[in-house]
Amino acid sequence: MTRIVQVALRDFLAVVTTKGFVFGLVATPAIGGILVLVAPSLFDDRDYRIAGEYAIVDPTGAVAPRMRAAIEPQAVAGRRLAALRRGMDRVPEPVRSVAEDAVPPSLAAELGPPPDVRLTVLPADADLEEARAWLAEDSAAPGEPRRAALIVIHHDAVTGEDPAAALGTYDLYVPAGLDDRDVDFCHEAIREAITEARAAAHDLDRAAVERLLEVPRQASIAVGAGAEGETVGGLTRLLPAAYMILLMVGIMVGGQNMLTSTVEEKSNRVVEVLLSAVSPMELMAGKLLGAMAVSFVMMAFYAGIGLALLASFSLLGLVDPWLILYLGIFFVLGFLVLGSLMLAVGAAVNDMNEAASLQGPLIVAIMVPWIFWPAVARSPDSTLALVVSFLPPVNTFGMLIRMASTQPPPWWQVWLSIAIGAAAVVGAVWVAAKVFRIGLLMYGKPPDFRTLIRWVRAA
Amino acid sequence: MNAAVRMTGVTKTFGQMTAVAGLNLEVPRGGLYGFIGPNGAGKTTAIRMLMSILFPDAGTISILDHASALEAKDRIGYLPEERGLYRKMRVRPFLRYIGRLKGLGGADLEPRITAALDRVGLPGVDRKRCDELSKGMSQKVQFVAATLHEPDLLILDEPFSGLDPVSTRMLRGVILEEHRRGATVLLSTHVMPQAEEICEHVVMVHQGRKVLDDDLATIRRAYDPRTVQLEPLDAEADTTALASLPEVEHVRAADRGHEIRLRRGTDPAAAMRSLLDAVPAARIELTRPRLEDIFVDIVGRGAADPAGGKGEPGSASHRASQGAGGAS
Repeated sequence: MTRIVQVALRDFLAVVTTKGFVFGLVATPAIGGILVLVAPSLFDDRDYRIAGEYAIVDPTGAVAPRMRAAIEPQAVAGRRLAALRRGMDRVPEPVRSVAEDAVPPSLAAELGPPPDVRLTVLPADADLEEARAWLAEDSAAPGEPRRAALIVIHHDAVTGEDPAAALGTYDLYVPAGLDDRDVDFCHEAIREAITEARAAAHDLDRAAVERLLEVPRQASIAVGAGAEGETVGGLTRLLPAAYMILLMVGIMVGGQNMLTSTVEEKSNRVVEVLLSAVSPMELMAGKLLGAMAVSFVMMAFYAGIGLALLASFSLLGLVDPWLILYLGIFFVLGFLVLGSLMLAVGAAVNDMNEAASLQGPLIVAIMVPWIFWPAVARSPDSTLALVVSFLPPVNTFGMLIRMASTQPPPWWQVWLSIAIGAAAVVGAVWVAAKVFRIGLLMYGKPPDFRTLIRWVRAA
Repeated sequence: MNAAVRMTGVTKTFGQMTAVAGLNLEVPRGGLYGFIGPNGAGKTTAIRMLMSILFPDAGTISILDHASALEAKDRIGYLPEERGLYRKMRVRPFLRYIGRLKGLGGADLEPRITAALDRVGLPGVDRKRCDELSKGMSQKVQFVAATLHEPDLLILDEPFSGLDPVSTRMLRGVILEEHRRGATVLLSTHVMPQAEEICEHVVMVHQGRKVLDDDLATIRRAYDPRTVQLEPLDAEADTTALASLPEVEHVRAADRGHEIRLRRGTDPAAAMRSLLDAVPAARIELTRPRLEDIFVDIVGRGAADPAGGKGEPGSASHRASQGAGGAS
């Protein structure tokens, strides 16, 4: 056991004390943090001022005045505020309360500068070619707003002869190169104006209609043999994704380090020196533990940052601690299965180029859960979900997706999957140990899969 | 006392190739054994089986009273033929790592590393990175790694390969020092003069089979010296008469005279008198058989005699073939 710990310790320190590891560890969240901080400023369009002159041809006579009202700064602010609140309603309660606390002081900033739009109403029988030419010329005098849109309301946009038929709409002409935010604003204002005009034409109280249509979405409550509670949602649903990312990064970093160090030990011929002091099994176990420790350091660092961020927003309650515990168990199982096979690949090849072809299937095994994720999450009791959650090496992913879904599996299935995962670890380590033992002292032509199978059967 | 190493009927094949065939080997405790043979003779495979790095297809192994080296690794020092260092690691951490794997630790380890590096003439290199070392220095560091824990059994596979003469002499001294300390030493080499210089006992293998197993003095005694170096008193003397003597197998010109090969079974003393009678000599010397000559002789006879070169009754090679499981 001491030897295994010594090997693990060396491999662990050989990775974590390198500048590359420290840089990679810190750089990833640092770049993420910089993006989070800088990107909003870079991509922030709230300071953009909508401005220009719109021309409207309105044969109904009912839309143009409402359009003029719709582009008034106060009306625009009202619509933006309502949209902001609708968005907030979709956010989980803890996030909402944090966000709502933050919104009032910066409401003006959130809503952006008021628009500066002038509306010119053209006669209903205006020559459209001439109007389009006016738009295309864009020979606005200095100080005058630029020509930004020509709106042509269809004659049946407000009322129609056949009550069962769909009402008409509008045509919008804009100069080439107009910013898409101007276009969006124009569409939004026209839609608002036409909706108002239709409501008035049909003697409807729009506010009343909207109240009738509004049914706020509520969190569903899961009812079962145990205590009632809100169905898992929010960040908990992201746990399988977090797990997949962590395992993928863990395998990629830990597995690659293991593979690289094994190939290096083999090519440096230091491996036989090691084998004079430890058995191949001890060497393999030590390397696996060392690499897993590296992955754990990385995960702990990233998870710590994540939890600190959640804690700073008082959102820790969104994460189910039991799922975190299971995530840890599944990570160990998944890492040991895929990591030991990765180690076997490292022992079988002479250099990293040769490793690329042999580790292909393992990379695919890591990627497969991404394909199944949506289907399993949507139908966690389906046959596919059952198969995926009991089939190594993807069972750990599959089960965690089901556990984070709206219909979590019974506990015995969870533990059955863990038992299968543990059996898979034994099997994978057994196969890997045989390949590892033979491959370590094999030089020359790299083995193909048939040779690997022969090694497993022969050793 | 039990043997430090005992291999009985050990066989190892790789596919169609038999690397080691029914090898019997016994190294007593405190012995200094040379395990010799040409490249590809099966020495490294046999040593790897001793170290439980490879496992035999047949036969049994006992090492320091254990069935497997895995159970006695802390008491064995092994310098493999295929050896290397962690390039990015510094010398002291590397030796510390190997020392700890060998069960060393505590306050004793650091001074032990310093002393071991001093002994092989590498004071102060402990701070160097392994990829900064010359090949000779690397060899010495690897030797230190093999002996740091003062093993009871030291197995050295081609320890002198790549070393310059000065380093070879220094390392030879350290190996003898280890032997004097009480370690059993099994030294494998394909350079037979090296084994001849250092070993008390020689085991020779060829094509996976043991062809010789005896102490060096017995081998020299048993292998009748049949080569005579003769330097004529008169450099211009006619020496054609030498080749026509009945005791002489053949004559060939050597540096300063002639090398005369006597027929098998000839009494060297009588033959030398006949030679002197034929050609007065300034110097005449019966040459001691070299291991290389013995090896060539055994292998040559083995090739001529498909029965396996069992040798003449009473000769060293005869005893060797009786000891070799594959041939007996």
